[in-house]
Amino acid sequence: MDIYLPIAEVAVNAPLIVALGALVGFISGMFGIGGGFLMTPMLVFLGIPAPVAVSSMANHVAASSMSSVIAYSRRKAVDLRMGAVLAAGGVAGAFLGVELFRWLRLLGQADLVVALSYLLFLTVIGGLMLIESLGTILRRRRGEAPPPRRDRRPVWLYGLPFKMRFPRSRLYISVIPPVLLGAFVGVLSAIMGVGGGFILVPAMIYVLRMPAGMVVGTSLLQIIITAGLTGVLQAGRNQTVDIVLATLLLLGGIVGAQFGARASSRFRAEELRAILALIVLMVGLRMGLGLFLTPDEPFVLLSGANG
Amino acid sequence: MIAALAAALATAAGPPSPPLPPSPAASSTPVISAALTDTNVQVKSDFRGARIVLYGAVFDAAARPSDVVILVRGPEQPVRLTRKQKVAGLWLNSRPVVFRGAPGFYRAASNRPLEDIANFGVLRRLGAGVDHLAINAPEEQRTETRYGVKDVVVSRLGSDYYVWRRAVVRLKEKAGLYHEDDEGVRFVDRGLFRAEIALPTGAPTGVYRADILLFQNGVAVSRRTLTLTVEKVGLERALYVWAHERPWSYGLAAMAFAMLAGWAASAAFRRD
Repeated sequence: MDIYLPIAEVAVNAPLIVALGALVGFISGMFGIGGGFLMTPMLVFLGIPAPVAVSSMANHVAASSMSSVIAYSRRKAVDLRMGAVLAAGGVAGAFLGVELFRWLRLLGQADLVVALSYLLFLTVIGGLMLIESLGTILRRRRGEAPPPRRDRRPVWLYGLPFKMRFPRSRLYISVIPPVLLGAFVGVLSAIMGVGGGFILVPAMIYVLRMPAGMVVGTSLLQIIITAGLTGVLQAGRNQTVDIVLATLLLLGGIVGAQFGARASSRFRAEELRAILALIVLMVGLRMGLGLFLTPDEPFVLLSGANG
Repeated sequence: MIAALAAALATAAGPPSPPLPPSPAASSTPVISAALTDTNVQVKSDFRGARIVLYGAVFDAAARPSDVVILVRGPEQPVRLTRKQKVAGLWLNSRPVVFRGAPGFYRAASNRPLEDIANFGVLRRLGAGVDHLAINAPEEQRTETRYGVKDVVVSRLGSDYYVWRRAVVRLKEKAGLYHEDDEGVRFVDRGLFRAEIALPTGAPTGVYRADILLFQNGVAVSRRTLTLTVEKVGLERALYVWAHERPWSYGLAAMAFAMLAGWAASAAFRRD
């Protein structure tokens, strides 16, 4: 059953898109991530123009994060104040990112920057996660105790001005690092069509030193605000949000996420992280591969001839 | 017999019947006549491309050898093209080049190879065949005086220009948007011909122009022009128009809808 997407102006197989949404939703529910980094490349691979895939993903990410954040907030696992500070940075980042993406499209370098960002961020994060999770698994097999967590807090985090209290996360830190982190993730979400959870979550744990229980819920809150704004900006500035595509993905994604969340309780956290790390690494390498292989067709048509 | 053929054609083409050409007996000049089975293609949610049949007839009392060339052009769409170049081991995009004058859809059909029907100059003037499309990159051009000749057009792409131009055609052909078929026009009976125009899913919306040309002895002796409209209808059109004319309200509504759907899902799957 094919369905014509009014903005992307291509016909896609509707059950296939719903199934893709369900698969990515399952992974996202299982690992507590948005899954945009998986979905956007797959949509492009299915023949949906990259700008439309990236922009429509913002709507999808906002919707799927919305469905999870409510569950986290019920468990009081959301630091609203930290979320607001991150989102303030995210808003600035989204504005910057949408304009940057527009400018890159005009220069014809959008594909390159997207591929490079994927290669760089996904391989680095995937690699780090894989090393960390394999280390944990090995230690557990050998029956060793986990290394004591270094509680020495980095000086730069505490030496900066504009300190603020975050009672829920039990932190008293400068707002500059979270604002910058939020802005960085906002730019990435506009360029890569991702929510940015895969960067936000580790950064909140290892850089901001937030308690692990608060991290996922708070990052989801920041992602909703940033992705929500990105989606509106992409529609307003670039006219690239396809609501039919986003809805199809949602249909599968929402159901998949619920099953994923249930399945995740059957695995240990470090095993889940190791699997996720492998997926992240593979997507990053696949996206970056195009930069190194000799293309069959050296010429590429770019969309948006009128800018 | 030709009159009977004309009558048969009028019924085959269906209403509204094309104005009948002047009676063949009255004039000695050959005349071509044609009609489309469908002049309005509607793009709906189940749109998977369309096939339109073009019927026509050649009226020539002298029965001279005739060739028929059909050129279908979609609305003009500028093309932005980039070339991948190896820089420090990485394949990077070059600066994009904008080509103007490229139709969004192009189909040339004839009963035999175009180069056998007319010479290079004739085909070039008519824009008949993908090699003769008037595509150029004005931003890459400048005029200068060379060898004492004023206003010589020089392209910054230099001799690569033709490689770029061919790439435009090749990529459009790959997308099913450009096509040249030298067996696309079939004579089904004396003077009566038929051709098919296949519109892919990615065919741009807008007004298409079909030129049906009658060639005799390498000269276009008669021409008939038909138009064809491809338009989005129903929900597809409403969404498209909304997204392009009021992008901000569309964006806000799409996002509100997405968030509402997310909230509804969490409520539906609530486990406690």
